[in-house]
Amino acid sequence: MDEGRSTATLTRPQILVKEATKSFSGRVVVDVEELLLGKRSIEGLIGPNGAGKTTLMRMIMHSTPLDGGEIEFIQTGQNENSVVVLSDLPTHRMAGLGVVKSNQVIMDFNKLTIWDSLLLACSETKYEQPHRIFSERSVYRRHKDEVRAWLDFFPFADPTGFAQSAGEKKLLDIVRCLLLKPRFLLLDEPAAGLSNELTAKVMEAIKFLSDGGTTVVVVEHDLSLVWNICERVHFMAEGQVLLQGEPDEIRKHSTVIEKYLGKGHVAG
Amino acid sequence: MNLDWLDAFLLQGIFQVVMVLGLALLLHLQMGLARIANFGVVGFWGLGAYAFAVLFVKVDWSIGEPWPFLISMAFGAAVAGVAGLLVGWLIADLETEGVLVGTLGFATSVWILAVTEQELTGGALGMGGLRFPFDIGKTKANELLWFGILFAVVALIFYYVFRVHRSPYGRLVIAVGDNEPLAGSLGKPAFRTKLWLFAVGSAGMGLLGAIHGVMAHLLIPESIGINVTLAAMVGLVLGGMARVWGAVIGVILAVGIFDVVVQSYLPLPRSWYTQAIPVLREMIFGATLIAVLIIKPQGILGDMRRDKLTRRMHGG
Repeated sequence: MDEGRSTATLTRPQILVKEATKSFSGRVVVDVEELLLGKRSIEGLIGPNGAGKTTLMRMIMHSTPLDGGEIEFIQTGQNENSVVVLSDLPTHRMAGLGVVKSNQVIMDFNKLTIWDSLLLACSETKYEQPHRIFSERSVYRRHKDEVRAWLDFFPFADPTGFAQSAGEKKLLDIVRCLLLKPRFLLLDEPAAGLSNELTAKVMEAIKFLSDGGTTVVVVEHDLSLVWNICERVHFMAEGQVLLQGEPDEIRKHSTVIEKYLGKGHVAG
Repeated sequence: MNLDWLDAFLLQGIFQVVMVLGLALLLHLQMGLARIANFGVVGFWGLGAYAFAVLFVKVDWSIGEPWPFLISMAFGAAVAGVAGLLVGWLIADLETEGVLVGTLGFATSVWILAVTEQELTGGALGMGGLRFPFDIGKTKANELLWFGILFAVVALIFYYVFRVHRSPYGRLVIAVGDNEPLAGSLGKPAFRTKLWLFAVGSAGMGLLGAIHGVMAHLLIPESIGINVTLAAMVGLVLGGMARVWGAVIGVILAVGIFDVVVQSYLPLPRSWYTQAIPVLREMIFGATLIAVLIIKPQGILGDMRRDKLTRRMHGG
């Protein structure tokens, strides 16, 4: 099943989490000794509620500071490897490196329309200076086609207006991430709040991105989606990564069944 | 030129209204778009006025007119801009309360400096020696021309703010004010954005302060009191702080009615003008601010309409 997209695997960026810890008021939420994300093009991160999945994602983006440890972004170029320590950078530098995360809870700009929001995601810094008051046309011209392409792909009721429903806001969040042209995309529960139809479309978009050389990591409770799309799955519980492997291995593993799926879960 | 039809007092009143309008427009960028409640407007305005005056009056200029005047004007704006950069750096990461106290404290510092640095500012007695950079005859004619220059400057500020709403920069500023973490996750540097917004706005306020100094001829610490900030803020909030036209409508309604209509056309006893009217003005402005915030917090024009703007700019 891997043949179709093996072309770009060599240059796929990876993220290495080393001895990363985080506690909230004395309770250890994340304690990951070593975790390499991005061995395969689409990976899943699963585990029960409170396992620390979302916190780990936020630590990677440095929107939650680490208590200890380090997180590295490894890019395998044609000639050399470059390693950037993400946990030393401010959050707003991540997007420039191509490390992008969608949000688990709904995040939106209340005052910006859908078009606004997407053009904001596309727009280069040089156009967003106080003296560049005539550059709207340039930004629009440069980016209108890619924005339109995604607006045609995903059904928004009125893209010139505001995102109305929770579903639209969730979708908008994902499209913003796609427009940032991520090299390493983290999706935190992308299917939550979306219809099956839309979830399928989001998955289609993810596969499209991954075919283009982007590494994708999905945190999701909708396990059929994980078994379907992911080539490698990490299982987290109580702040630690307990198991890593192929989806088939993980879903049948006794630890996963005991701690997460429950005995009644029918494997297969 | 016969200017008998023009009442000197009326001209002063209208000058004041346009001046406050300029401040309200700049405040609109900070408070309406980036959600930074700057209560220190008068600090930047006063700093610009005094920086201009000190350089213009105290330096023994060897170059001819109009250069000393223009250089001093630019200096006033630049000093206010640098102050904006510093104050912005201090408050950019603070919550609303911190911003309020910080900016208010800055304005108070400027006032105290104006009072205590007597060598430079003349202290409470004030600082004279300011004059128009031209002389076209009577005082009234000079004042009218100076008003024209102020009007042109404020019109330019209006045009700038209007364009900001229609530019990627404006979108960035709104996004940072609306949801800073989300803007950050899209790679937008929120801190730097706020800093430059503050610096540019403050420089504009400083320039307006210098223009005020020339019209007043005499700078006294009393003229850089909280009432200037209050006038700009009441006007902006009344009209709708997220709207460009909100500043215009609000300032004309609040400051215009009070400073022009009430003071020029109502038959008030003469003795009120020195004591009662300034106090009355602040009371009415304060009451208006409270009333607007209770009855219509978004102001007369309401919230910004990016949906209408998007349709107009990029098709429906």
